[in-house]
Amino acid sequence: MIRDITIGQYYPAKSPVHRLDPRVKLLGTLVFVISLFIEKNVLIYGIATIVLIVLIALSRVPFSYMLKGLKPIMFLLIFTCAMNLFFVRGEHLIWHWHFISIYTESVSRALFLGVRLTELILGSALMTYTTTPTELTDGLEKAFSPLAKLHLPIHEVALMMSITLRFIPILTEELDRIMKAQSARCVDFDEGGIIKRIKKMSTLLMPLFSSALKRAGDLALAMEARCYQAGQARTKLHPLKYRKSDMAAYCLIFVYLSVIIYIKYIY
Amino acid sequence: MIQIKQLIFKYIRRDIDGNEAGSETVLDGINLQINEGEFVAILGRNGSGKSTFAKQLNAILRPSDGRVLVDGLDSNDDDNKYKIRRKAGMVFQNPDNQMVASVVCEDVAFGPENLGFKPDEIKDKVDNALRAVHMWNQSDVATGRLSGGQKQRVAIAGVLAMEPDYIILDEPTAMLDPEGRKEVIETVIRLNKEKNMTVVLITHNIEEAINADRVIVIENGRVCADDKPDKIFMDKELIDKNGITVPFEYRVWREISGGRKATVKNIEQLADKIADIAGDRVEHAGCRTELARHRVQTVAEPYSDNKCTGTHNISVDDEPLLVLKDVSYVYNPNTAYEKTAVKDISAAFKRGEFVGIAGHTGSGKSTLIQLFNGLLSPTNGCVMYEGKDINSKETSKKYVRSKIGMVFQYPEHQMVKDTVYGDVIFGPGNLNLDKAECEKRAKASLSMVGIPEEMWDKSPLQLSGGQKRRVAIAGVLAMKPDFIILDEPAAGLDAEGKREIFDWLRKTCVDDNIGIILVSHSMEDIAEYTDRMIVLNDGGLIYDDIPATVFSHSEELRKMGLDVPCAVRLMNELSLRGFPGCPDIVKEKDAIDKIRMWTGLGGNEND
Repeated sequence: MIRDITIGQYYPAKSPVHRLDPRVKLLGTLVFVISLFIEKNVLIYGIATIVLIVLIALSRVPFSYMLKGLKPIMFLLIFTCAMNLFFVRGEHLIWHWHFISIYTESVSRALFLGVRLTELILGSALMTYTTTPTELTDGLEKAFSPLAKLHLPIHEVALMMSITLRFIPILTEELDRIMKAQSARCVDFDEGGIIKRIKKMSTLLMPLFSSALKRAGDLALAMEARCYQAGQARTKLHPLKYRKSDMAAYCLIFVYLSVIIYIKYIY
Repeated sequence: MIQIKQLIFKYIRRDIDGNEAGSETVLDGINLQINEGEFVAILGRNGSGKSTFAKQLNAILRPSDGRVLVDGLDSNDDDNKYKIRRKAGMVFQNPDNQMVASVVCEDVAFGPENLGFKPDEIKDKVDNALRAVHMWNQSDVATGRLSGGQKQRVAIAGVLAMEPDYIILDEPTAMLDPEGRKEVIETVIRLNKEKNMTVVLITHNIEEAINADRVIVIENGRVCADDKPDKIFMDKELIDKNGITVPFEYRVWREISGGRKATVKNIEQLADKIADIAGDRVEHAGCRTELARHRVQTVAEPYSDNKCTGTHNISVDDEPLLVLKDVSYVYNPNTAYEKTAVKDISAAFKRGEFVGIAGHTGSGKSTLIQLFNGLLSPTNGCVMYEGKDINSKETSKKYVRSKIGMVFQYPEHQMVKDTVYGDVIFGPGNLNLDKAECEKRAKASLSMVGIPEEMWDKSPLQLSGGQKRRVAIAGVLAMKPDFIILDEPAAGLDAEGKREIFDWLRKTCVDDNIGIILVSHSMEDIAEYTDRMIVLNDGGLIYDDIPATVFSHSEELRKMGLDVPCAVRLMNELSLRGFPGCPDIVKEKDAIDKIRMWTGLGGNEND
């Protein structure tokens, strides 16, 4: 059940999108998100949708796999759309029943919101599907490296992030095992009201925390044994280097942003 | 050269305010010298101080008193800390907990990255290190996809990438399956022989020490023996005192040789030696032909009328209580990740039976046992308990799970309360029994597993590995089960702890008429303790028979990545050397008795 969550996981494939420098993908995602929030304009949304579809096709991540990542938040998505549809007031009433009234404005609002949220999630999921956690933290580290001059521990935070990402699958698997081990002792996690269930969950925390702490201690020792010192200058096996395709991608991002701004302010 | 001079190490206990509240001496005056190119194995029971000693060798811990010198660098000097760590690399027990990165090559690069090498240099070092552990072609694989043995080899590569002169391994195989163990130990031996790397291997698995140049036994923080493996393994007193099991070859040799010295590093050598002494004897008595006449291979009797197990009879219920009918289980059906873990398995289990389930990692063992008590429901087929389908709506899952108890590999996972007693009473408390009955059951099961009353208020996490395991078993026993299923109950225990658990299980099986289903990688354990064994391969059931019959298919088992027990291998080797074939012998004791009969030599009788 817990293992079904695919959002944020890397999908290995060889594609132009996979090969891009993570910094390009980070900026690209940022620009894409901004473009979705800049204005509710059919043309902007149309362009964004086309761009997203092209990118997904280029990335060779199966579309069904992308949609599977949407599943966990489907409820939230439908709920917000429905709230907007039923409870936003407007001028042109289409349909009315008791306290629910639907106006043309509410329909367009719900549609916009639905499309915006879906694209927002798909767009950022595309980045995590095509970028390994290590690349991602490397990219973030590089992008924020000017801040290290202000004595902010950018490198340490980046390393912490990548280690956290590495241990998420290990700990979810462990949680799964602990749940089964306790179910075998007649703990029924699906029984009782919400408070009772949360209480039962608490028995999972002791073994999970004690194991996580033990792992953290072990890892710290192993890192020390391999000569890690916090604050020291480290080098990289694969330092980030821009290629021509990255520059081309930056240009495309710039073009996209310009088009969006043109539509908003001039068109 | 590593020199250890009068090394003393104390753990200091502090109270809440940080004041010293006492100390515990873990290492107590160790003097040693480890020379270049040596392969040193360090043995000792759990808690003897051997892991603490290992951490002293690369300045992770530093002496409270005395000195550790690595190539003349004193570990007490702060400036030497990282120089020493670079010279003496360390590999730890848990493969998952020592990986920093998600991709193999990036993890191996961590050390050189810390040392500030340039990208090209790092790449060379990573490539060389991965080649040395034969993992070069997996350089871009995600670490999560590797097997335990492969992960541990990557961890070794991670150390090699720093180009150390010494490599210290702290129980590197304790969490691996037999295949992984073999991979890791072969890698270590290769590094020692081909690259002339100095190896310090801390282990409690004695088979791994057999190839060492030198074995050091640590007891209560002191070196109590330091000698060639042959000498150590023949010293019965020393071995018994330290809770070590000697390798099978030496164990048998000691029993039958009547005190003769010999190097028996593998079963073939042992068989040769036995043939030699038996030859002398037999020649002398003029009955060589007699032996030759026995060379006819006899075939093991089928299960229905077995006489060979020599254990108790399963008499109580003729009807099997737990029945699997054509059970299959598919993970993630109808997706890209679809995987059939268990295929059309039918089997039946009775109370009072001791059944072993064997199969290599990924053969479907863990999935199968989760089907037994409804932790997973089969995709096809059904599981019946007392004649009812356990996955139907009418059957109470709670009742089934209380009757079919399960003890998992990591007892910590099963602990739900913060005291031993509270934890054991938790199970019966879930069964709507009255309070007095719950208490009675909890107390009875704790004393059954031999946990003394003064420990009942302790936290389960404070107990030793063996004690934790026993508390987990008590928690299951308190529910009065008909069956107990155990997944690798001996993992991580030393020889003594292991023997205790198994002897106790055997006794419970017979005395209390409880069915024991044991999942294990160890064919030795299955041969020694079970009445019947099931072999799984690729999710299918291959054999379901008495151990002697199953082990007669040694070639087929080997193809599935499984071994046969040493006793069987020895008897096979002996039959190649002209002794009569004995397919009914699977236990060590029976093998020794048989050989004694042939050679006419006793244990302590001197020739």
